[in-house]
Amino acid sequence: MPPKRKAAQADTDEYESQEEGALSDQETFDKLKQQFDVVAMSKRARATHAVDAASFLFKKCDQWDAHLKPDHANRPLWVDDAGRIILESFNPLFLEAQKFLITIAEPQSRVSRIHEYTLTAHSLFAAVSVGKSTAEIIKDLDGFSKTALSPSVVTFIEKSTSSFGKAKIVLKKTLSYIESDDPAILQKLLRDPTIAECRADNTDGLIHEAAPKIGAMAIPGTKMAAGANQLAQPAGDMPQPSDMMASLREEDEEEELAQVHSFQIKSEERERVVKRCQDIGLPLTEEYDMHNDTVNAKLQIDLKPHAQIRYYQEAALHKMFSNSRARSGIIVLPCGAGKTLVGITAACSVQRSVIVLCTSAMSVVQWRAEFIKWSNIDPNDIAVFTSESKGRFPRNAGIIISTYTMITSTRNRSYDSEKVMEFIRSREWGLLIADEVHVVPANIFKKVTYSIASHSKLGLTATLLREDDKIEDLNFLIGPKLYEANWQELAEQGHIAKVQCAEVWCQMTPEFYQEWLKPSSVQKRALLSIMNPKKFQACQFLIDYHERRGDKIIVFSDNVYALEKYARKLNKAYIYGDTPQAERLRILENFQHNEMVNTIFLSKIGDTSLDLPEATCLIQISSHYGSRRQEAQRLGRILRAKRRNDEGFNAFFYSLVSKDTDEMYYSSKRQAFLVDQGYAFKVITRLEGLDKRSDLAFYTPQDRRELLMDVLLAKDADADEEKIAGDMFGSRFASSGGKARKKNGARRMAGTLSELSGGQDMAYIEYNKSRNKDLKTKGIRNDFIRKLNRGVINAKKAANKG
Amino acid sequence: MVKAVKGVLVKCDASIKAMLVDIDNRHHNEFIIEDLGEEHVLVKESKIAELKQRLQDTMKERLKEPESSDSEA
Repeated sequence: MPPKRKAAQADTDEYESQEEGALSDQETFDKLKQQFDVVAMSKRARATHAVDAASFLFKKCDQWDAHLKPDHANRPLWVDDAGRIILESFNPLFLEAQKFLITIAEPQSRVSRIHEYTLTAHSLFAAVSVGKSTAEIIKDLDGFSKTALSPSVVTFIEKSTSSFGKAKIVLKKTLSYIESDDPAILQKLLRDPTIAECRADNTDGLIHEAAPKIGAMAIPGTKMAAGANQLAQPAGDMPQPSDMMASLREEDEEEELAQVHSFQIKSEERERVVKRCQDIGLPLTEEYDMHNDTVNAKLQIDLKPHAQIRYYQEAALHKMFSNSRARSGIIVLPCGAGKTLVGITAACSVQRSVIVLCTSAMSVVQWRAEFIKWSNIDPNDIAVFTSESKGRFPRNAGIIISTYTMITSTRNRSYDSEKVMEFIRSREWGLLIADEVHVVPANIFKKVTYSIASHSKLGLTATLLREDDKIEDLNFLIGPKLYEANWQELAEQGHIAKVQCAEVWCQMTPEFYQEWLKPSSVQKRALLSIMNPKKFQACQFLIDYHERRGDKIIVFSDNVYALEKYARKLNKAYIYGDTPQAERLRILENFQHNEMVNTIFLSKIGDTSLDLPEATCLIQISSHYGSRRQEAQRLGRILRAKRRNDEGFNAFFYSLVSKDTDEMYYSSKRQAFLVDQGYAFKVITRLEGLDKRSDLAFYTPQDRRELLMDVLLAKDADADEEKIAGDMFGSRFASSGGKARKKNGARRMAGTLSELSGGQDMAYIEYNKSRNKDLKTKGIRNDFIRKLNRGVINAKKAANKG
Repeated sequence: MVKAVKGVLVKCDASIKAMLVDIDNRHHNEFIIEDLGEEHVLVKESKIAELKQRLQDTMKERLKEPESSDSEA
């Protein structure tokens, strides 16, 4: 990453410059990255490295002179100079090594036999923040490694861990303190003029306190919590022996320095201090000591007894709450693996007011429902703050669920929402849960953190990646990545569905391709490749095939014009941004419960946070260029398939691609993330039996030509991407949610009046009519007929009785 | 009087054929003698080398090559 950073930065800036001002402290981030960057360090080291004839093949990770340890066959991994770790997943020590690596390094790629991790400053920061010491990390890593660790890696680990995570910023009794085990570090901080300025207490000395005991923090819903009710827990009672060892060691250390030192800073200068500390290479960790918080009201919330959290959710939460304080950070779990439950459990552990931010109003509703489903919270205590409802909770503590757009909007607010905002700003929050945190641009999130005073922050996401480089900023704004689950492992254990991925190549028909070759706008060409009749037929074929198997199918199209065309031609229901809420709900309900409705078409509003556990098959006909995130999010729609535990069940994910067009290029990019998670894409060049069928749409050249004319006449505006108000996906800037689609202007044509009034003796049939209308509840509208019917029914009843 | 032109039968993908037709259209129809359905086309023998060259140029220009995984270089 970093070597390419300059160039990448230049073009993302250009592309976002109008919408997103450059971050004020972009340079700070850059400086930090420069300084604590393993690649830069290894580059320096490599300059002196001995070279042989084959070195150029290995570029930055030439390890030819590293000596294997005598018992290397028993050790599971290699570490190269660039901080990359290659792990054998078939090694007997694999599980142990994986567990260790998850804490200290970032997973890059986890395919079936070999996993790849990278040591980064952030991952080491995270390791330190969960209580690993430098010596431990080096010792364990060396133990697992087949070769001796190179000095550059060792210095890198030492350097990153010694500067990171030593000082903490703590909110105690709503005041901010900087805390450290080592008074020397605090003295160093205080010598800095900026920080000294922000100091609140005027005494010279530091505050000394006994360190909090590490231990008995029971995460609700685990076995431990059940035990905690009966007996006091011994410190660090964790299920895994290796963890036990680690925590025992931690305890030893604590006895030696049983007190912590701190000084108070002015709360309003908090951001400045955090920034300054980053500058001088001593970033602060944020932790919240909720058990000793006597100021903020307690929230009565606990998990219901039937809520059982899974082992990986427990592992994730352990990292967050490991020394009985809430630590800020990001938890990465695949879609459908229960992110919401992790959020709710975290809320139950903190037991203070919670604010939840999601990406759309739809997921606000879902979060609320989940809270009520999994916890014993009083529904009155959950308020929803969206453009439609502006609630507040009546008591001192409660939960507010809102969207990023609502919180960061800079436009004039209505009186009601201004009042709610005032309410949100004036309070202290125990926990801020940021759902789908990867979609939030850094400066928006900054605004959020400024306006909401929260003690701890938890980011939840399935895909911690963006096509721009902004993802790293989250490390500073929320916290380090605390946990990342292994997709394949979860699929093996049945927590998420197993998925067969396939890319279907569709030939372009010559007529369409000729048009495609003509110089025209990008949108038009994209539209031509989406509307390719062969693709249409492939889509129809796959729908037929899977409907016969009894699958429930979702078809995704980013392009609304194509969405409408496909859905109407195939007589299926469809939902896009402009579909009214009531109609949406009706369609979704039918999809879930009605056996006659097995396929729905969704625009990209369906990409995230739409819970459809019935869906088992997914077909993608158009997509947002090379977005890896969208691909992964869409896959997530079928990972939670209800039937996943059936014997031999597979979900299917098809991506339809028009051959010889740009789609091929983007498609290969999009798959990169899923391939790294261990998914394999099959390429299907022809569908068996497709050419034998004559009942498919656009079978005759005549039909195809008509379709082509239609597509060519479509305006560029139609071919444009859908923009959805209040959705962070389409727009890069939250408050720019303009009207979704332009209304088509008036159409003028010549004709006679008699023609229009039906005087020409013409009858009309509506072809390609929307299936959406069929799904309406059919009731008799006319009062008289209804009365008549009722009379008949009553008469029958009377007759039966008699 | 009958005029005979020597031709070469080209068999290709539908999309490549579309490209050939496109090139032909842009150059006053000096390549193609007869269009023979979706995957076949008859081309003047004398022009075949030039057509090949032009096809290659067009493909280079229009199609993005999938990125190779090695981006470190």
